[in-house]
Amino acid sequence: MFNDQCSMIKRKLPIPLIFFILTWVWASWWMGDVGRIARERSFFATDSTLMQFLWQQEFGSLWILGRALLTLFRWPLLGGGVVAAMLAFGSWMLGYCLRLRPRWRWIQYLPAAAWMTWVAWSGFELYYQHESGRPLGTLLLGFVVVAIDGFIISTFSRKPLPEIVRPPKDETQRQNLAQLVLVIVLTAVPVATTSLRHPYLRPVTRMEVQMLSQDWQAMAETARSNATLSYRPIAAYYAIALARTGRLTDDLFQIRLDYDSLYLRGRSNTPDNGTNYYLADCNYHSGLLRAAEHNTMEMLTMDGPSLYTLKHLTRLAILHSDFNLARKYLDIISHMPFESAFVEKYEPMTAQTAAAAQLRESDPEFASIKMCEPVADCFESQFQEPTFLGYFAVLTAGRSLQALYQSLMANLYSKRMNDFLMRCQPLVGQVLPQSIGEGLITQSQKNPQILQAFPSLQMDAQRYRLFLQTVSPYIKDRAGNAQKLFQDYRGYYPYYYFFGNLKATRKSTAKDSPSKAGVN
Amino acid sequence: MKTHSIHILLLLALLLTACGPATERPATFTDTDETADISPDYGGVTVPPNIAPLTFIVRDSLADAFVVEFTAEGNSENCESDGNFIVAAKSGGLVQPDTAAWRALLQANTGKTAKITVYARSDGQWKRHRPISFRISEEPIDAYLSYRLIEPSYELYRQLGIYQRNLTTYEETPIYENNRTFDDDENHCVNCHNYQANDTRRMLFHVRSNHGGTIIIDNGEINKIGIKHDSILSAGVYPSWHPTLPLVAFSTNLTGQIFHMQHSERIEVLDEASDLLLYDAKENTVSKIFSTNKQFETFPCWAPSGDRLYYVSADVPNLPDTLAPKDRGSWMMEHYSELHYNIWSMPFDTLTRTFGEPQLEVDCAAEGKSASVPRISPDGRFLLYTVADYGQFHIWHKSADLCIRPTNQSAPHTAPEGASIALPTDSIVPPSGGERGANLNSPEAESFHSWSSNSRWIAFASRRDDGNFTRIYISYIDSSGNARKPFLLPQLDPRQNIRLLKSYNVPELTRNPIQVSTAKIRKAVLEQEQKVSKFIEK
Repeated sequence: MFNDQCSMIKRKLPIPLIFFILTWVWASWWMGDVGRIARERSFFATDSTLMQFLWQQEFGSLWILGRALLTLFRWPLLGGGVVAAMLAFGSWMLGYCLRLRPRWRWIQYLPAAAWMTWVAWSGFELYYQHESGRPLGTLLLGFVVVAIDGFIISTFSRKPLPEIVRPPKDETQRQNLAQLVLVIVLTAVPVATTSLRHPYLRPVTRMEVQMLSQDWQAMAETARSNATLSYRPIAAYYAIALARTGRLTDDLFQIRLDYDSLYLRGRSNTPDNGTNYYLADCNYHSGLLRAAEHNTMEMLTMDGPSLYTLKHLTRLAILHSDFNLARKYLDIISHMPFESAFVEKYEPMTAQTAAAAQLRESDPEFASIKMCEPVADCFESQFQEPTFLGYFAVLTAGRSLQALYQSLMANLYSKRMNDFLMRCQPLVGQVLPQSIGEGLITQSQKNPQILQAFPSLQMDAQRYRLFLQTVSPYIKDRAGNAQKLFQDYRGYYPYYYFFGNLKATRKSTAKDSPSKAGVN
Repeated sequence: MKTHSIHILLLLALLLTACGPATERPATFTDTDETADISPDYGGVTVPPNIAPLTFIVRDSLADAFVVEFTAEGNSENCESDGNFIVAAKSGGLVQPDTAAWRALLQANTGKTAKITVYARSDGQWKRHRPISFRISEEPIDAYLSYRLIEPSYELYRQLGIYQRNLTTYEETPIYENNRTFDDDENHCVNCHNYQANDTRRMLFHVRSNHGGTIIIDNGEINKIGIKHDSILSAGVYPSWHPTLPLVAFSTNLTGQIFHMQHSERIEVLDEASDLLLYDAKENTVSKIFSTNKQFETFPCWAPSGDRLYYVSADVPNLPDTLAPKDRGSWMMEHYSELHYNIWSMPFDTLTRTFGEPQLEVDCAAEGKSASVPRISPDGRFLLYTVADYGQFHIWHKSADLCIRPTNQSAPHTAPEGASIALPTDSIVPPSGGERGANLNSPEAESFHSWSSNSRWIAFASRRDDGNFTRIYISYIDSSGNARKPFLLPQLDPRQNIRLLKSYNVPELTRNPIQVSTAKIRKAVLEQEQKVSKFIEK
C-alpha cells in the first residue's frame, strides 16, 4: 500500500492535461454563470444586416467571432470546454514555439493565466457597457496566432511536439512537481481575484440564470445564502424574486442593504454605480412597463442590441399588445443561435386570436406584472426616488394589494415614513405582513394612535422596546456597528431603520425637472 | 500567349454563364383566386419610373419554390422587348429583380399598369396567384433622399448619422456619422438636415453637445456657426432654407421630453416656449421674427415663391403670467394635451426682408386638433401637414395623419396674441385635410414629410409597420392633390425593414447628391471653431 502511494507521487503527471481540466472547471463551473449571462447580454446573429453595427467598428470582425464563441455558453460546460481547450492547447503550443526547456516550461502558462486574471478582474465589465466579444475575441486571436506559429514550426523543423496527455519524458520528477504547483497557483489567482474584487459577480449572475428559468425561490435563496454581501444588484434581484413569490413584505430585510462599491467603469471608463444593470428588470417586475421599455431602449441605443434587451422588448411589446413589434424582435431573436425555445414560447402569443389571448392571460409572470401596472397615466418624472423597486414609493392608486405592498415596501426601504403611514390606512383591521407591522412599530412612539389602529402590534411593541434597549449602546456609531448586529437582527425592520442602508439613505426629493432635455 | 489563353478561358466562362438556363414560367400550373402574400405590400401602389427595383418576400410556408413574372399592361406575356421578365425567388421567398430588366420594364411602360404574378410550388405542383398590379408613373421622383438613422430612442444616442440614399439604386452613403466605436468626445447628436429648394448646394444640419453648432454648407464652403444671444430661447432648431436667398428661418425652442407611464404613446416632446428667427447665412447674422410669451411658434416653412413664410403656432392663453421659469415645464406637463397648433403664414418682402401680418391658414384648434410640419409643394399649389390630437412633435402621436389641402392665401384672418379666431369661411376642405391625404395614413403615426421638386411625389416617415421603428414611404400626388397608396422605400434586401433596429428620421428629397465629402464635413464638425452669429435687433 505504502509502495503504491510512493509510486503515485513518483509518477510524472501530464501538466497540459491537468491545466486543461483546471481551466475547464474554472470556465464552466466557477465562471459558468458569468459566461451564460455574458451571452445573454451579448448579441450574435447569423444575419449580416443585424451585425452591421459591429462589423463597421474597429476590430469588429474579431469581436463578432468572440461573440460567436460566447454563444456556446448557452451550455457553460460546452463554452467552458472550448475556452479551456484554447487556453490549454494554446499554452502547450506556446511552450513548443518558444522551445522552452523543462525547467522553464511553466512560463508557457503565464499568458493563459494572465488572460484568466484579466477576465476575473473585469467582472461585469466583461459585458456591461463594454464590448462582450472582446474577452473571447482576444483569446481566439492569441490562440490562432500561436497555433499558426506552431503549425509552421512543426512543418519546417524536426523538433518533436511535447507530450500533451501522457507524462513528459524530458522532465525530472522535481520539474514536473514544480510545474504542477505553479499551474495550480496560476489557476487560483483568477479565482481569488473574483472573490476579492467582485464577490457579487457569481451570486448576481447565478440569480440572473435562475431568473431566466423563472426559478424565483432559488433566486431568493441565492441572495439569502450571500446575505452578508451588500451590493445593489444582489438586493435588486432579491427584491424581484420576493415580489414574484409574494414574500416581499416578509423577507426583504433578510440580507444586508448597505452597498459596497462594485468597482465598475462605464462605457466612458468613468466610475459607474451599475444601476442600469438591473433597472430595466426592476421596473419590469414592478409593473412599470413604459419605464422598463425606456431603460431597455437606452441600453439598446448605447450598447447595441443584446439577447437580454431583445427578450425584454419582446415581452414588453406583448404586454402592450404591440404584436407587430413583438414579431419583429422575435424575428431577430430567431437568427440568434440556440434561442428557438424563447421564440416558440412567445411567438404564439403575438397572434390576434382568442387562443393567443388565452396564452397571454395564463402566463403567470405577465399576470402578476399586470396586477402592478399604474392605474392611470402620469409621467416618469412625477415618480420619485429611489430607483430601487421601480421607484414606486408614491403610489396613490393601486390595481391590487400586491401593488400597495410594493409601494409600502419601497417607502420602508427608503425610510419615507410619512408616506408609508399614509398608505397604511387601507390595512386597518387587517392582518399585517411582518415588515409592514414592524415598520408601523418604529413610528408608534411618535404616533401612539398606530397601536390603537393596529392592536395586534402590541406584542411587537414589546420586542421593539427590548430591541431599543439592546442596541442603545451601538446607536452612536451606527455605521460601525451595523455589520456586528446584522446576524442578531437579520430580517427585523427596526434594525434596518436604525442601522441599515446608511450610506444610501438620503431624504429623497422629487425630481425638480419635469422634462428632460436632449430631445434627439 | 499565356495571357491570351487566360482571356479566352475567361470569355468562355462568361459565355457559358450567359447561356445558362434562364428562369422560365412553369410549364403547367393551376390558377388560384388568391393574391400572393408579399412583403412589403406593393399592390395598387404607384411607382416613379426611376425607382430602384421593388424587392420583396413571398410569404407562403407551404411552398418550396417561387417564380415571379413582371409584365406590363397590354403586353404579350412572352414579349421580352416590352420589358417583361421573370425572376426566381431565392431562399426564404426573397425576390430581387435584376436591375437592368427592372429599368427596361419601367422605361418601356411609363404611364401604364404593371403586374407581379407569383407562381408557387408546393408538393411538386405549381399554382399561379392572382396578379398584383402597380402603376408606373410618367413623372420621376427626385433621385436622392437623405435621412437620419437613429434608434427610436429617448435621450441617448450613439452610432447616429445622416445618410443619403440614391433612389434609383440602393446605394446609401453617409453625409455625417458621429462615432462607430464609442467615443465620448464624438458622441454628439446630429439633426434637422435641410436643403434649399431640393438642391444640396445649400444645406445645413445641427450638431448638439460636443463640437456643437450648426453646419452650414454653401456651394462647397462649410461653416460651423453658433446662434446665441441672451434674448433668444435657444440655438436655432427647426430650419427652412429660403428658396432662393441665403436665408434660413429657424424656430428657437425650449424643448423637453417627458415619458408616459401608462399610455399607448411612449413620449411627449413639448415646448415650454418657442419663437421664430431669421438667419442670414451670408452675413452670419440673426434676428427675431417673433418673440411672444403665450404663443408658441415653430416649424417654419417658406413658400416656394419665397414671399411667404408658413409656420405653426399654439395659443396658450391660460399660461399664468406669474409662473416662474423653472415651474413652466411642470405647468406644461399638466396641460400638454391642451396644446393645439394652427397653421399660419405671413408675407415676406425679399427686398426689405420684413414680414407682414400673420394670416391663419388652417384652424385645427377649432376642431380640437393640432397641426405641425407645414410643407408647401414646389409648384405652390398644395399644403401638406400633419394633424394629431394635440402637440407638435407628432412622430410620437398615434393619431398623427398627413393632410393635403390647396394653399389658401385669400381672406386673411389676423388676430392679436391670445385672441380666438374663427374657422376661415373660404376653407375648401376641413382643417383635418379631407380625403386628399386619406390614402397616406394608417392607425400609427405619419409625420415628417418632403416634396419632390416636381410636386408629384412625397416621401414621409411612418410608424405603420410596427408602431415604433419609423420607415419611409413614398407616395404619388396627382395634379389635383390626391395621394395614391404609398409604398415602402425599396431595399436591396427587404428583410432589412424588419431587422434594422433604427428609425428613418426626417426624409428630405433632393435633386442632386451632396456636393462635399463626408471627410470634409467631419473635419469641419470636429475641428472648426464655432462662428457665433451677430444678433440684430429689429
